[in-house]
Amino acid sequence: MSQIQSGPSTHSNLHPAFMTPQKLLPVEKCSLGCPILDCCIGGGIPCNSITEIVAESGSGKTQLCLQLSLRAQLPPFLGGLSASSLYLYTEFPFPTRRLHQLSSALQSQYPQIFVDDYNPCDSVFLQSVNNADQLLDIMPQIESFLENSKPRLPVRVIVIDSIAALFRSEFENTASDLIRRSSLFFKISGKLKELAKRFNLAVLVINQVMDFVESGCGVNEVRIGNLGSFYSSGRRVCPALGLSWANCVNSRLFLSKDEYESGLVGGGESGSVSRETRRRLHVVFAPHLPGLSCEFVIRREGVLGVNR
Amino acid sequence: MMTSASTGFNCYLDGSIVSLWVLSANLEISESAALEILKVASSRGSVMDGNNAIVQQEQQQQKQSHNPKDWIAVDPQNAWDLLHEERSLMTHITTSCVDLDDILGGGISCKQVTEIGGVPGIGKTQLGIQLAVNVQMPPYCGGLGGKAIYIDTEGSFMAERAQEIAEACVEDLSCPVEIQGKDVKIVIIDSIAFHFRQGFEDLALRTRILGDMALKLMKLAKVCSLAKKNNAIYVAVMPQVYVSNFGLSFVLLLSLIQDFFALQGDSWSRCCTNRVILYWNGNERYAYIDKSPYLRPAAASYSVTSRGIRNSASNCKRSRLV
Repeated sequence: MSQIQSGPSTHSNLHPAFMTPQKLLPVEKCSLGCPILDCCIGGGIPCNSITEIVAESGSGKTQLCLQLSLRAQLPPFLGGLSASSLYLYTEFPFPTRRLHQLSSALQSQYPQIFVDDYNPCDSVFLQSVNNADQLLDIMPQIESFLENSKPRLPVRVIVIDSIAALFRSEFENTASDLIRRSSLFFKISGKLKELAKRFNLAVLVINQVMDFVESGCGVNEVRIGNLGSFYSSGRRVCPALGLSWANCVNSRLFLSKDEYESGLVGGGESGSVSRETRRRLHVVFAPHLPGLSCEFVIRREGVLGVNR
Repeated sequence: MMTSASTGFNCYLDGSIVSLWVLSANLEISESAALEILKVASSRGSVMDGNNAIVQQEQQQQKQSHNPKDWIAVDPQNAWDLLHEERSLMTHITTSCVDLDDILGGGISCKQVTEIGGVPGIGKTQLGIQLAVNVQMPPYCGGLGGKAIYIDTEGSFMAERAQEIAEACVEDLSCPVEIQGKDVKIVIIDSIAFHFRQGFEDLALRTRILGDMALKLMKLAKVCSLAKKNNAIYVAVMPQVYVSNFGLSFVLLLSLIQDFFALQGDSWSRCCTNRVILYWNGNERYAYIDKSPYLRPAAASYSVTSRGIRNSASNCKRSRLV
C-alpha cells in the first residue's frame, strides 16, 4: 500500500493505484437545490456513480433532471460542480420552454453568479438519441467531447432521459432479442461507468415503470423476492428493463405520486372534494443511503421538497 | 532418486498414501530397503512414519516440477496435523450480525473463497464494506487485525459509507483497542460479474478466463496463508444476479430460481468454496448458505442499518434449517 495516488486516476495509468477511503473523501455531489431533497439523497447526486430515477410519466423525472443539469453550473459552495452538463434525450420533444423557465428562475436566484447576460442554458448541451444502437455509437463522440472540447465549464454531468424509451419499443419479447438487449445494457453501462470514473461525472439515468404483475414470471422480467415494486397512483409498479438493467446502476431513486382528497372540511359525500397530488421521492437502493423518502412539490421555479 | 517408472512411484512423495508394505511390494524390494527409503524421505523434512497417511498439498504442481529440491521445499502434512492447524488457524471475520455468524460458523472463513450473491440493493456492497472494516479489529473482537483490499468494479464503493460503518464499529467497541495490523487479510471483489457480462461473445473463452481467475484467487487465499502461516487471506467475491447475455445461462435461468443463482454458469460455481445467497423474504433480508463443504444449508435474517450489517430488527431468533 506504499503507492497511494490522490485524485482521479488517469486513463493511461496502468499501475495498480491503491487508495484508502480517506483519499476518496469527500465524495463530490451535485445538489438538487433543495435542502430537504438533498438531505434525503445524502447531499446530492454523487459523482463517479450512476444514479437512476424511476417513475411513471408525469411524476417529475424530467423536472429533476433539468434542474440538476442547470444547478451543476453553480460553484461548489452553492452545491454545484462548476460544470456544464450533457443532456441526452430520447423522448421528443425536448422541453425547451421549461428549461428556459428554470434557467431564468436560477438566474434571478443567483444574480451574482450569472453576470454579463450569461444564460445558464448555454451550458446545457443537448443531444437527441433515437435508438439503443445509436446511444452506443455516440459514446466515442461523447468521450472525445469530454476530452477535447473546452466549454466555459467542463462537462461533469450526463443525463439520459430516458433509457427505457430506447429499449421498450425496439425489442421483441423473444430470447434472442432479450439477449441482445441485455448485452446492450451492459455495454452502455460499462461505457458510462468508465466515463464517470475517468472524468468524475455524475450520471443520471431515467427509467420508466411498468405494472407489476403478481407471480407473472414473464420471460423478460424475472423477479426474486420483492425487488422493486412500489405504489404509485394506486397501482403497483416496478421499474422497466428488468433485473439485468438494475445491475447496471449504482443507486435507484423512485418517484411516486398519489392523489389524495383534500379539503374534507366540507364533509360528507356531497361536499366538493378537491384533489391534491402528493409526490414522494424514495431511495430504493444506494450503497451510501438508508431507504429514506421525502415529499416534494413541483413549482414554477423547480422541484422543492416539503416537510410534512 | 528412488525412481521406478514402471511402478508409478516417480518420487517418494508421489501419491497421497505411502506405507512401508505398499512400497516394498510395488518396488519389489525387501521391507528393510523400503524402510531405508522412507527414512531418507522423513529425514528430508517430512513428518511421516511407515503407517501414516501422508497428505500432500499441491500435488499437481509437484508433478510439474522436475527439480528434486522443489519437492523437498514442501512440507507434506498428515490429516491430523492439517486438522490441528486448521483448528488453530481457522479463524473467521465476524459479519457483525450474530445470526449470520451463526450459520456461517463464526463468520467469513479463512483461506477460502466465499461468494456472496444477490439482487441489486440487497446489501452485497454493505456486507463487503462491513467485512473490510471488521477485519481490522483485533481477534478477540471478531476481526483479524489486518488490512483489506477492496476491488470495486461497479463504482459502488462509497467512502462516506465506509467511514460511517467504521465509526459505528469503533463506537461499538467498549474499550479502545490497538489496531496495528499490517498484513492484508481480506480481498473483496465487488463484483466479479461486471467484467464478465460485457463483450464476451465467446462463451468458451469466458469460461476459461473465469476458471483461471478462480484458481488464482484460491491459490492466493491458500498460498499467502502458507507462506506466512498466520497471514490468512480471505476472499469474498460478490457476483451479481443478472440475466446472462449468453444463451446457455439464459436457459438455466428460465428453468428454476435455484438455477438462476448459477450466475456465472456451472464452471464458476465449482470454483468458490462457499456461496452465500442474499434474498428478500417479504420485507426482510435473508442470507442462505447455498454451497459449503462443511456448513449446513441454513438461512438467517439480517438487516442493513445506518451502523452497518446487524441482526434483524425482529428480536426473535430466526436461524433455521432448510
